Amino acid sequence: MNENVLRGSADFTEAIGNAKEINELLRRYGVKFGIYKNGVFKEQFFPFDPIPRVIDAKQFAAIEKGLIQRVDALNRFLYDIYHEKKIVKDGKIPEDFIYISSGYLAQCEGITPKNRIYSHISGIDLVQGKDGEWYILEDNLRIPSGASYPLIARELTRIASPEAFRSNNIVDNRNYPDLLRETMDYVNCGGVRAILTPGRYNAAYFEHSYLAENTDSLLVRSDELFVENNMLWHKTYSGQKTRIGVLYRRISDEYLDPLTFLPESLIGIPNLMEAYRSGNVGIINAPGNGVADDKGIYYFVPKMIEYYLGEDPILRNAPTYLPFYKADMSYVLDNLDRLVIKDVAEAGGYGVVFGSDLDSEKLAGLKDMIMSQPRRFIAQDVIDFVDLPTLDEGQTVMRKADLRAFVLSGKTTRVWASGLTRFSRNPDSFVVNSSQGGGFKDTWVRSQ
Amino acid sequence: MKKINFYFSTKLTFDDYVHEHSFALRVIPPETPAQHIVGCELSISPITAVDHNIDAFGNNVTAGYIKGDHRFLDFEIKGTAETDCTKYRTDYMPCYMYQSAFTKPSEALASFLETLSDDLSEASVSERVQTISSKLSEEFTYRKDVTTSHTTAAEAFEINAGVCQDFSHIMLSLLRLNGIPCRYIAGLAFCDGETHSWIEYFEDGVWKGFDPANDRPVNEDYLVLSQGRDFADCAIDRGVMFGSYTRQLTLVRSVMQQGY
Repeated sequence: MNENVLRGSADFTEAIGNAKEINELLRRYGVKFGIYKNGVFKEQFFPFDPIPRVIDAKQFAAIEKGLIQRVDALNRFLYDIYHEKKIVKDGKIPEDFIYISSGYLAQCEGITPKNRIYSHISGIDLVQGKDGEWYILEDNLRIPSGASYPLIARELTRIASPEAFRSNNIVDNRNYPDLLRETMDYVNCGGVRAILTPGRYNAAYFEHSYLAENTDSLLVRSDELFVENNMLWHKTYSGQKTRIGVLYRRISDEYLDPLTFLPESLIGIPNLMEAYRSGNVGIINAPGNGVADDKGIYYFVPKMIEYYLGEDPILRNAPTYLPFYKADMSYVLDNLDRLVIKDVAEAGGYGVVFGSDLDSEKLAGLKDMIMSQPRRFIAQDVIDFVDLPTLDEGQTVMRKADLRAFVLSGKTTRVWASGLTRFSRNPDSFVVNSSQGGGFKDTWVRSQ
Repeated sequence: MKKINFYFSTKLTFDDYVHEHSFALRVIPPETPAQHIVGCELSISPITAVDHNIDAFGNNVTAGYIKGDHRFLDFEIKGTAETDCTKYRTDYMPCYMYQSAFTKPSEALASFLETLSDDLSEASVSERVQTISSKLSEEFTYRKDVTTSHTTAAEAFEINAGVCQDFSHIMLSLLRLNGIPCRYIAGLAFCDGETHSWIEYFEDGVWKGFDPANDRPVNEDYLVLSQGRDFADCAIDRGVMFGSYTRQLTLVRSVMQQGY
């Protein structure tokens, strides 16, 4: 695998030479993400590193199979939880983990989304250990963002270095908008495709507009939408109305419909849930998915695969401990200084603590918190994952990197042959989230 | 079995025109083993097309959208039901075991329950409900205008006074702390000129009604309009509209009569 990385980058010297220009073009293109820091919205440039991550065909085929299996099981789980709850009744998952989860929405009970698909777009975060094995770190089932970054970076590097793409047998990744369009059409309930954006001051605004343009969807704001006769409509200034059959949205479930969820939401669409429950509009991804990508539920995903599919999990979870279980609790308390502790309520790299970074006083404080709220935390072994060569002011340095793979569920479940590789710019950090100041790479899947 | 005639109306008036008004009403009583709806008519003014759906908790939801300018929304239900206290509902959801937004217990609520632990340890579910309610009635006073529809159980308990909604939320919080699945009920009762609220608890596979504001089990004088984890799931009317009104006036009237 290291050999591949080197071969890829050896053929890529031309693009490396152009790194500055590519980053300048990305900047001009507006490839940014926004974050809120201390209540202030800031747009940040998401630095692109021209040395790609390279995954060979055989390795990708194995990852692909494992991801399809995982996402299929997660979709089956979501249907089960909002209907019969067999997995709980059969004692595979303790009831508490479902109903205390903030992602479980009782308002979604009994709703069957078209074709029983809940997670249409899944972003599964993986890392490759130094032993060569891939581990799942996290499932993101509430419309993961990030696919547009490698897409647009590929477009630019293709221009900067056409030769690299002629000689390296790299699978074309420009089909993402087509995959997305097919996924949307498969759950379209009659009407046009639309992508809902909270507007310009949103972390994923760049991506919303890019995807709308490339999937031939309307880019809409919630104040242009209304529900009448149990159907979702878009209105134009001239008063015309167009029916929407499928809505891609990234606003949180709780803000989606002020008449069903938080009444104070100003960015929602009143009675959207009525239209949705009646089967008159598809919502991508389905409301209520948070119960399946909860950090506590993560522990149970391998069990779901066995339970729903009768198969052995192909991809492994990082070794995880639930203080909720007595045996795990004592292990966690005894080994806290070499574990990573995650607060299940936090996302985006927040609420992640490495025991090794804490002094004895802070360790004791964390122990008390874990003992008093065992359900709130999970603990994982720190995986020593691979470093990838990364360009830093003209020098090639080694940095930690993960991979967000995009899995699209429509008529069949498919994995996009690319992905977002995020790396840490800090040589001592294992945290690669973009909101924590990391950068990204293109991900090349080779056809041989 | 008892036959009752019921009437309920709400008049919302705005001090300026509003438009693009979406609303969801939970006002049509559900047909259940414990209440047979002989007839029920809903009228809404201004006249508008509405859709009838059933939500996750089994409530009838009437959804509508008024596009043009208007200054009021009136709705009323009128009908006849046969209530029967010897028959019970069984529609269970596990979420009723867990605290919800309005019922999150405070330390004060937990220690209040703690003081009753001797009386509760050996008792049946029904006995526990009665014990907790009686104690609550001794400590907590029925008083209007000290709480709002946003007041949580913990906040009302702190004030030590409130209305039927607050009694229900406190009761739900305490029962769930005690491991009893229970739910919020919005409905009509003989004793009230407005809507009333009480609770149901789950025992031996069926739902039993209890009215904590009056410290007694419900009888055939109660008509359920909606149920859920707490008030948020049961609001009689929720709406979102555009306009520059500054005030909204709500007039509510309910009548329950012996039917013939």
